[in-house]
Amino acid sequence: MTPMPTRTILLACAIVLVAVIAGAPFVLNEGILRLATECLLLLTMAQMWNLLAGYAGLVSLGHQVFIAFGAYALFLTSGWLEVTPIWVLPVAPLVAAAVAAIIAFPLFRLRDAYFSIAMWVFAEIIGAFTMKSQAVGGTSGVPLATSKLIDFDWFEPTMFWLAGGLTLVTIAALYKMMTSSFGLGLMSVRDNDLAAMSVGVDVRHNRFIAFVLSAAGCGLAGALSFMGNLFIAPLAAFDVNWSVYMMFIAIIGGIGTLEGPILGVIIFFGLREVMTGPLGLSGGWYLVGLGIIAVVVMIVAPRGIWPALRDRLGVRLLDVHRAAPRPAAAAILPGASERVTG
Amino acid sequence: MAPLLRVSGLSKRFGEIVVADNVSFELARGECLGVIGPNGAGKSSLLNLIVGLLAADGGSIMLDDREISSLPPHRRARMGLGRAFQIPQPFPHLSVYENALVAASYGAGLYGDAASDWTMEVLQRTGLDAKADKLAGALPLIDRKRLEFAKALASKPKLILLDEIAAGLTEPEVERLVAIIKSVKADHAMIWIEHIPHALRAVSDRILVLDFGRKVLEGPPAEVMDSAVVREIYMGLKADGVA
Repeated sequence: MTPMPTRTILLACAIVLVAVIAGAPFVLNEGILRLATECLLLLTMAQMWNLLAGYAGLVSLGHQVFIAFGAYALFLTSGWLEVTPIWVLPVAPLVAAAVAAIIAFPLFRLRDAYFSIAMWVFAEIIGAFTMKSQAVGGTSGVPLATSKLIDFDWFEPTMFWLAGGLTLVTIAALYKMMTSSFGLGLMSVRDNDLAAMSVGVDVRHNRFIAFVLSAAGCGLAGALSFMGNLFIAPLAAFDVNWSVYMMFIAIIGGIGTLEGPILGVIIFFGLREVMTGPLGLSGGWYLVGLGIIAVVVMIVAPRGIWPALRDRLGVRLLDVHRAAPRPAAAAILPGASERVTG
Repeated sequence: MAPLLRVSGLSKRFGEIVVADNVSFELARGECLGVIGPNGAGKSSLLNLIVGLLAADGGSIMLDDREISSLPPHRRARMGLGRAFQIPQPFPHLSVYENALVAASYGAGLYGDAASDWTMEVLQRTGLDAKADKLAGALPLIDRKRLEFAKALASKPKLILLDEIAAGLTEPEVERLVAIIKSVKADHAMIWIEHIPHALRAVSDRILVLDFGRKVLEGPPAEVMDSAVVREIYMGLKADGVA
């Protein structure tokens, strides 16, 4: 196993990325900036889905419900308090996390496909209630009531900075978490929950934390996404395609890796821009292209593109696995391994 | 001195099938109890009841004078129960080192260098140190069995529960595994379910015989293995030696 990059290299990369994100709005035009914001927010969502599926072993088909809760919480709170939506952004992850914490109790009684489908059903039920509820705009949705308080000269740059900051913080936090003993415990639960509990891992607690954090991240990213549109409607907020896109990005890029979703989001948006731009194809053909890529990748590289590339090139970027200490550090029992051969 | 483990009147049934029928026994520190019995006698269920993977219908399980029968499995593991499964249960996408590190971190409650040093010591003891960075899912059977034992040992248990850990191994592999188990026996109490009589005799201080969930015999290995009861229920022989 190749040693992990040193902390210094990762820190240098982080500083460069911060500088790039800080300077990009002064170089890029508004259209590209909006596209970059969209990419970064979907990357954050995919990382959050990957935290749950790739590291905790819980595949959710209903993560759109957290996006919707976060976004509606932002729109409604901003309207009630009559303040700029940016100041009430923390409400979005808090509400999404609270919802996750509540539904975890019944949902964690279910396993595998039953959990996935229950998440989807829950999202559909809440979506249906939202469409029936005039207090939140019903099927018509609601505009951002406090949009008049927004400084539109700086709106796109601000959205980009928020999305970029959120993405960087998300990846850094996930890296830190997955290299901690909590992360190790989480991966053990993903691999074999029976064995994990037999060596002292509190399976339910670890999954709960991952579920709540995943929901909170999606809530915040969803709030930012709809804040950028200045409008929210239930059909868009509770659209199952949110989960489909998160899944596609994480699975094609490499589920259970931090680099995979980054690669996945580049493919996802790169294909869209090429097919609907230079090639002039319709959105339907774009979906066909995504489907073909998904099938080919699952056949050729079932673990995703990044793990295949990593193994071939021997590159380790954000590897969260721990290498065993070298013999010098491990020479506690000299000759002990000679006791048992083979 | 109070026994390390005291099991009293332990009972469990699945409908009409009784897997534990008022089972009672004690285990002292540093003692190894062998458990034998025909398939379906309730041996693995007994271990599952002790570690908490099955909830008992009745009876009590005292570890170090503390009732543990209502505690979840992870709490029992942290209190000093280390389990090796009959069918190896590795974390297949983690390395051998990480597999044992999970047990050192959660079961033994170690952090940082203390956790990694202890993990490497365990891997050395179990002969897995040279394969520390290999993925556990890619190991051959003997190494998976060793890893089962390493995970149980890495959690610094007071009591190690081994479930047919030598099953499926060749004779030389059984010998190597028995050597590993004997090397840690002095510091740990053990309950070892096994169908290989000489392996069990080599390590056990006492042997308990189960049949249909009932304890039918308990005593020194030689005495139990040669008893008419064992010959009859375990090997299908009548007391006069006729099948």
